[in-house]
Amino acid sequence: MTVTPAVEEEEKVEAKPAEGFVFPPDETRLGVISAIIAVIIVIIPGLPAVIKAVGMIFALLWGADSVRKTSKYGLGTGVPSIGVLAMGYGIVGALLGIAFVSKIGYQVAALGGVLLMGVLGLISGMMSNSEKVIGMKIPKLERGMMELGMAGSLAMLLQLSIVAGSLNFDVVVDKAISNGLIALMFVLSMMAMFHPYNACLGPDERRPRTLMVSVEISGLLSIILGIALAATPGSMWGVADGVSLIIFGALVWIVFYVKFVKTAMREAYSVVGTGLIKTIG
Amino acid sequence: MDPILVIVVCVIVGGVLASLGVHLLPVGGAPAAMGTATGIATGTVMLMLGAAMCGLFTASSVAEFSGNILLVSLSGAVGAWIMMGVTMLMANLIYVFGTGIVPASGRVDVDPITKESQKEYKTPQCDGHGVPNVSYISGMMGALVGGFGGAFMYFALLNYANFEATMAGVTAMGIFVANAIIAAYNIGGTIEGFHDPKFKRLPKALVTCFVISLFCGVSVWLAANLGGLL
Repeated sequence: MTVTPAVEEEEKVEAKPAEGFVFPPDETRLGVISAIIAVIIVIIPGLPAVIKAVGMIFALLWGADSVRKTSKYGLGTGVPSIGVLAMGYGIVGALLGIAFVSKIGYQVAALGGVLLMGVLGLISGMMSNSEKVIGMKIPKLERGMMELGMAGSLAMLLQLSIVAGSLNFDVVVDKAISNGLIALMFVLSMMAMFHPYNACLGPDERRPRTLMVSVEISGLLSIILGIALAATPGSMWGVADGVSLIIFGALVWIVFYVKFVKTAMREAYSVVGTGLIKTIG
Repeated sequence: MDPILVIVVCVIVGGVLASLGVHLLPVGGAPAAMGTATGIATGTVMLMLGAAMCGLFTASSVAEFSGNILLVSLSGAVGAWIMMGVTMLMANLIYVFGTGIVPASGRVDVDPITKESQKEYKTPQCDGHGVPNVSYISGMMGALVGGFGGAFMYFALLNYANFEATMAGVTAMGIFVANAIIAAYNIGGTIEGFHDPKFKRLPKALVTCFVISLFCGVSVWLAANLGGLL
């Protein structure tokens, strides 16, 4: 049995995302940075899948952070509800986005769907928080729901664009929606949003540790998308696109999984291992 | 009729029925997992998502053969119905034979439907146990209404917005869960059924869900229109 004092560990643990800047910035800064990175990756056509996956990781990280700050106050229905809400909006937003792209012809138009879902999130947040309607009285719920709508739409758009290779309506419907992959994306991306806080919440919850889980699940999602992409190569990069995405996803998953388990074990008051996970740490 | 009107009306009907369905389900949440509250031991989202998924499966199977909106919607309702019925029955079996508690309502002293007395069977300090008769019937009504709404929305997206079957299913599910979650926030996570005092808050959720469904309906119409499906 390892007994580690929890107090002195507080400053030591710093997780680093793939990019290498200081992590984590505060909630607003993380939101702005993630949104800008995801938006830039959405609007540039023809990027390789790995870069789109980086954007997806940031969008999901933003969503997980918003879930965390919203459900900190207790929603009454459990943490998962708000993550599911985000992806519910995300699907509508992504459909709108690809429809805008096919009408206007530029990838920038996809942001129309993202913005509209931001507006819808703001409306639902205002109505949920308003005393006259539902009256949840959760601080900053409006902002949280707005961010969740936008993060969900961005994540969904990036996933559709990874699998289909572009954001053209017909191509996306053919390659990512009609074969049912969208249901997989729906479930796994809502897992990446709500699971971190749902699993880590408690009196000793710490933001960097929670967000690591989100990145880890995004890695798993990348592996699955990579397999789908390698099976049906869509973009000009061919099968290499899918294979590189699988490798990238596996790397992200392994790095963050090991990091999370190590951090959790270091910060725990005591760890009584059953053998399996103990051997990693 | 104009397609925008049909789609928006169908999405609103689906969303509002989803919200009504959530208010009728016996949701117990975490206390029910310990047997100290009435209802099924899980969150609203899981129950309603499960019921809606089962409803969509049956509805999409029937929609392959039939173009009748009532038939498809009713088949969705039946799918959701079966799921909720089995879930509540199994939950009750576990509560009664596993935990050893008697299903009893915590909100009313006398069952409004069967007129059975509830108070004697409620453990002091607890909020009821298991799924009593009135909650069971209420849950069946909720699943019927919710499944009908989900399948109604699915049919509209499939046939009026000309979505593909998968696309219609996933979009209907997305809009459905958004409405169900707003309704779940309204009841604060747990409710026993139509006899629960929280049921009186229903109009507030219906107004919110109306606005959200209106927005989603217009978005779906816009997507179908710009995507060249209409």
